[in-house]
Amino acid sequence: MSDKKGIDILDLIKKVLFTDFVKGLKVTLGYNISKSITHRYPDDEKWIPYRRFRGVHTLNRDENGRELCVACELCVKACPTSCITVVPMEDDTGRGIADRVAKVWRVNLVRCLFCGYCEDACPTRAVRLGREYELACSDFRCTVRNREDLLMPQPVPESIEGGIVAKAKFERPLSGIKVTADLKVTKKRAW
Amino acid sequence: MMIPDISTILEVVLIAVKVVVVTMILFGLPLPLTWLERKVAGHIQVRLGPWRVGPHGLLQPFADMIKLLMKEDIVPDRADKFLFTIAPLLAMVPAFAVFVAIPFGENIVIPVINKEVSLYISDMNVGILYILAISGLGVYGIILGGWASNSKYSLIGGLRSSAQMISYEISISFAVIGVVMLSNSLSLVDIVRSQGGSLLQWNFFYLPVGPVWCAIFIIGSLAEINRIPFDLPEDEGTLGAGFHTEYSGMKFALFMLAEYVAMVSVSVLTVILFFGGWNSPVPLPIPIPPIFWFVAKVAFFIYFFMWVRFTLPRYRYDQLMTIGWKILIPVSLVTILITGFMRI
Amino acid sequence: MEQLFFYIFALVAIVSAVLVVSVRNAVHSAFYLIICLLQVAAIFILLRSPFLAAVQVFIYVGAVMVLFLFAVMVLDIGREKTKDYIHSQWLPAVGVIIALLLVLGYLVKGGKLSAELGIYNEAVLAKNTEVIGKALFTQYIFPFEVVSLLLLVALVGAIVLVMKDKTRPRKNNGVGS
Repeated sequence: MSDKKGIDILDLIKKVLFTDFVKGLKVTLGYNISKSITHRYPDDEKWIPYRRFRGVHTLNRDENGRELCVACELCVKACPTSCITVVPMEDDTGRGIADRVAKVWRVNLVRCLFCGYCEDACPTRAVRLGREYELACSDFRCTVRNREDLLMPQPVPESIEGGIVAKAKFERPLSGIKVTADLKVTKKRAW
Repeated sequence: MMIPDISTILEVVLIAVKVVVVTMILFGLPLPLTWLERKVAGHIQVRLGPWRVGPHGLLQPFADMIKLLMKEDIVPDRADKFLFTIAPLLAMVPAFAVFVAIPFGENIVIPVINKEVSLYISDMNVGILYILAISGLGVYGIILGGWASNSKYSLIGGLRSSAQMISYEISISFAVIGVVMLSNSLSLVDIVRSQGGSLLQWNFFYLPVGPVWCAIFIIGSLAEINRIPFDLPEDEGTLGAGFHTEYSGMKFALFMLAEYVAMVSVSVLTVILFFGGWNSPVPLPIPIPPIFWFVAKVAFFIYFFMWVRFTLPRYRYDQLMTIGWKILIPVSLVTILITGFMRI
Repeated sequence: MEQLFFYIFALVAIVSAVLVVSVRNAVHSAFYLIICLLQVAAIFILLRSPFLAAVQVFIYVGAVMVLFLFAVMVLDIGREKTKDYIHSQWLPAVGVIIALLLVLGYLVKGGKLSAELGIYNEAVLAKNTEVIGKALFTQYIFPFEVVSLLLLVALVGAIVLVMKDKTRPRKNNGVGS
C-alpha cells in the first residue's frame, strides 16, 4: 500500500483482477505438480551419506588385517565429552600394527556429540566416524559400542562416494527394526 | 384406511431410494476428500502426504476413522451436556439436507422397466432459497457447540462464526439474486437449463457481471464454510482449535463430516449457478453422459478450494469484516443494479 | 396424513414455545425459539407456501436468531439463573392468556379466521413465488415501499448512532499519561 493520497488506478485494477491471488495460485500449482523431495524412508528408500559424514565410530585395520589402533589414548584426551574409554594391553601375536593394542575401546553414543576430534587426534587413522546414522533403539545397551562391534566391516563400503538414495528394505523382526539398503539400485536425490 | 395405488407406492419407494443413495454418497465422500486434502497439502509443500497406510496412503482415511471411533468421548466438566451433544448433529444435518434440492442431471429413463427417473430428490420451485436458508442453519452447530463447551476458545470461535456468517450471507444472497434474475426462476433445474447450449451461455460468462457474481459467491461461501482464508472460528494460531477445541472422538468427526459435506455442496452450487451444471462446455459429436461433466466440474472446484487453502494465509478478523461489509456488499448491490438495467 | 403432520408440528411448536419462556438458561431459550420457528416454517409448507417457509427459515432462523444468540452468549447467564422467575404478575398474566384463548377459540369456531382460496387455487399456488412477487409489486406496492423506506431509515439511523461516537473528540478517556 502506498501512502499517497487518492486511489492508485493500477493498484485498483490489480486488486479487481485478483492478480496477486492468481500469482500465488500459480506458485502453489507449480509446487503441486513438481516432484516431491521426500525420501520414502524407511519403506523404499534410504539416504546414503557422503564420506565426510560423521556417524558412528569405526575402528579400522590395515591392508594385512591388523588393527591400526595402538591404544595411545589420544582420542580419550581429545574427546570433549569424555565418552571414549580405552584400556591398553600388550600383545605381540600380530593382532595390531604395534605390540600395544586396545583391550577395551568403548564409546558411549549417548554422550558422544560426533565432533570428530577423536578422528583428528588419532595418529594411526584407526578411528574414523562412519556413515551409520540409525541410532534409535529401545535398549540402553545398544548405545554403548565396543571394539568388537566397531571393527566389523561397514555396510556402506569406503568405495561408494555417497550422496545418493538407495533402494531399501524395511524389516521388523522381534529383535528390532532394521533398514537394509540395496546399494546396487541407487539414484540421485530429487533436488 | 385408504390403500394408495401402486404408482404412489412406487413413487415413495423411489424417493426413499434416492435419499438413501445420496446420503450414502455424502457419508462416503469425506473419506476420499480428507485423503485428497492431505495429498494436495503434501504436494503443494513438496512433501508426499499420507504414504504408509495402503498404496499411496489410500487407506489413511479408514485408519483415521478407526482412530476417531476408538477415541474417548470427552464431555468437559461443567459443559452444557445437552447442547454439547446435539451441536455436532446441528452442524451435520443442514449440510446433508441441502442436497435434497440439488439436481445432478436431467431425467433419465431406466431401460428395463421403461420408467423415467429424475436425478434430484425434489425440484422445489424455491430451490435456491431453500438451499441458502438451510445451509445458513449449519452455523448453529458451531455457535451452540462453542458456547456449550464452557471454554473461552470455543466461545470466541462460536461468536466469530456467528458474526462472520451474518456478514457474508447477505452478499452471497445478492450474488445469487443476479443469477435468479437471469434465469427467471428459483428452481435449480431451470437455472441449469437456462445455461444450456455452449460455454457462452454459462452465467459466469454473462459479462460484465457474471464473473463478479461468481467471485462474490465463492469468497462468501469460503467464509460460510469456514475454510482458509476465512477459517477464523477455528483459528489454530490464536484459539487452540476454535469451536471444536473441546470435542473429541465421534463428535469431532461429525463436525469434520459437516465441513467436508459443506465444501462439496458449495462446489456443487458454484457449478450449478455459474458453470452450467451438467451442460457440456462445447457441443461434442460423441455423447458424453451429462453426469460426467457435472462430476468433473465439481471435482475441479473441490480441488480449487483445497488449492486456495494452501495458497493463502488466514485473514485477520477486522480484515474479514472489512472485506464482507465494505467490499462485497456494495459491489454485489451494484451488480444487481447493473443486471437490472441489462435485463430491461 | 397432512393433518397428522400438522398436529405433530403444532404440538412441537407449542411445547417449544412454552419452553422458550420457562427455561432459565437464555441460550436454551434461544435454542427452543429456533425449534419453534422451524415448526412454523414446516406448517407454512403444509399451507402450500414454500416461499414463505424458506423466507422464514432464511430470515428468522438463519439470521435473526444468530444475532439473538450472539447477544445472549455474551450475557452473564449465571446471575439470571438464580433469580425467581415467577413474580407477582403471574395472576394477571394467566387471566390475559385465558381471555386470549377464549377470543381465539370463538373466532375459530365462528369461521372468522379462515378465508376462501379465491383465485389462488392449487394450480396458481404451485407457482408460489411468482404469485407473491406479483402481489407485492402491484397490489401491495405502497406498503412495500413504505416498509423499504422504514428499513432504510433504520439503517441510516444505526450508522449515524455509531458514527457519532467516533467523530466526537475524545478528551477524558483516561488513556493518556
